Amino acid sequence: MRVEGLSKVYRSNWSRKTTRGLDDLNLVVRRGEVFGYLGPNGAGKTTTLKILAGLLKPTHGRAWLLGTPIERIESRRSLGFLPEQPYFYDYLTGPEYLEFVARLSGLSGREGTRAARQWFGRVGLGERPRLVLRKYSKGMLQRLGLAAALVHAPQLVILDEPMSGLDPFGRRDVRDLILEQRERGVTVMFSSHILPDVELLCDRVAIVLNGRLERLATVGELVNGQAASIEVRVADCPVLELPAGWSGCFSLARRTGESVITLTDESRLQPLLALLVQQRVEVRAVTPQRGTLEELFMAAASDAAYRAPNARRTA
Amino acid sequence: MNAVLIAQNTFREAIRDRVLAGMVVAGFVLLAFTQIAGPLAMGEGVRLTVDLGLSSITFLGLLVVLLVGTSLVAKEIERRTIFNLLSRPVPRSVYLLGKWAGLSASLWFVAGALGAALWAMLALLGHPGYAAAILEAVYLQGLELTLVTALAVLFSAISTPVLSALYTAGLFLAGQWCDDLREFALKAPGSLRTLLQVVADVLPNLPLFNMRTLAASGEVTSPAHLGLATAYALLYCGCVLALGAAALESRDFR
Repeated sequence: MRVEGLSKVYRSNWSRKTTRGLDDLNLVVRRGEVFGYLGPNGAGKTTTLKILAGLLKPTHGRAWLLGTPIERIESRRSLGFLPEQPYFYDYLTGPEYLEFVARLSGLSGREGTRAARQWFGRVGLGERPRLVLRKYSKGMLQRLGLAAALVHAPQLVILDEPMSGLDPFGRRDVRDLILEQRERGVTVMFSSHILPDVELLCDRVAIVLNGRLERLATVGELVNGQAASIEVRVADCPVLELPAGWSGCFSLARRTGESVITLTDESRLQPLLALLVQQRVEVRAVTPQRGTLEELFMAAASDAAYRAPNARRTA
Repeated sequence: MNAVLIAQNTFREAIRDRVLAGMVVAGFVLLAFTQIAGPLAMGEGVRLTVDLGLSSITFLGLLVVLLVGTSLVAKEIERRTIFNLLSRPVPRSVYLLGKWAGLSASLWFVAGALGAALWAMLALLGHPGYAAAILEAVYLQGLELTLVTALAVLFSAISTPVLSALYTAGLFLAGQWCDDLREFALKAPGSLRTLLQVVADVLPNLPLFNMRTLAASGEVTSPAHLGLATAYALLYCGCVLALGAAALESRDFR
């Protein structure tokens, strides 16, 4: 998937006021990778995904899906798209809906029926095939939306907030589905607010803020660039004497039954361990702490807000 | 192929939402009412039955168009169900064509069921000779409703359901009077005449599909009339749907 100089300006029909939803976005998602697309509400994530799915027209710029320009209808032949908070025809049953969309994506009648049955069971809805969609819970609808995005075995899957509305079991199932797609060689791009999931699943991550691409790197590159620290857990001791000169490079937190020393200077680790042994304090664990994606995301968002305090955001 | 799938789904929606069943039941009630009013017609009971029976088809069909057709696309945009269709390899023109075809098929179903009921009632009353006249009249009414559906779908793609219903009802009424407008244009001076003639030509020529008076006396129309009406309806629907597709093509679905 390639995006070159993509911009979107929304115009109000009445006041003719303009709002920039996306600003000169350049992006390449490689075949077979799982790509996370992050940003706060109104950053331009949904705008980007909708342009790629053919629901919005870009104001400027171009994009290609699997080598085909998005203006051409063929670009969506191998695309699976899950919109944010998907809505369906509530008079249909789950298998009927899946068969309908599978056939719209090019499957024959027999293939569509088979794929619909298979995916209906695969997303954990197989027990109630005759239930009409108006009686589905939010989580069930989200699962059905995922099945609809995958039912025709697409080569590229774009998911807008796929974990939204799901309980922990549902989130685990979605993670499994995304990993399964990666194993099949399918390219997956998804937006999410649930950063631990993104960290767990994605090969690369883009952070978009105020319609502009802020960061683009592998998860490892992003989080390893963050300041590191080392956490030393020790058995609770009433008195712990550390050299007076260390005051700026450690913090001490007492929990029930243990204490946690957090070192911000790695060079102090060996002297600290020696000191603890000398004072006969039981060391339970030494854990290097790296910055999380969440911390990085919050820092990037703060930077952008500082640089453009009056930037207008759109949904 | 995708237009057929969307049409099938639209037809299924109309069936499951019980709109069609409601209209067919209402039609049967209206037909039964003609038998109560028959004795008041002073010997013209059959004529009254045919006329009222055929009128009820147009009235109920128009009601379906105004209730369902005018929100056909707008409802999908509002409920965002359209996202799941247009993010697939489905051109917007094909989507619109499918929606129109599906609702038109539903209206043909209503018209066919009520026409058959009307014929069966006349046969039971000892007048089986009206079959051809009723068949032709119902066919023309089906074409008329198909044309009005195309207008409703066009407005539904560019406006709100309430405004779409107003525009569609307005054009339906104006279309019924387009012959009168054409006659009036002949008496109007200069540029007003040209303007009125253009308006009369652009409005749907709905009197072309009205065969109620002829059918009430058991007569049939010429094959040339049927052919002309069919060609006119298809051409008019084609133009209206092309306009609707062009409008939908430029729309953003936020």
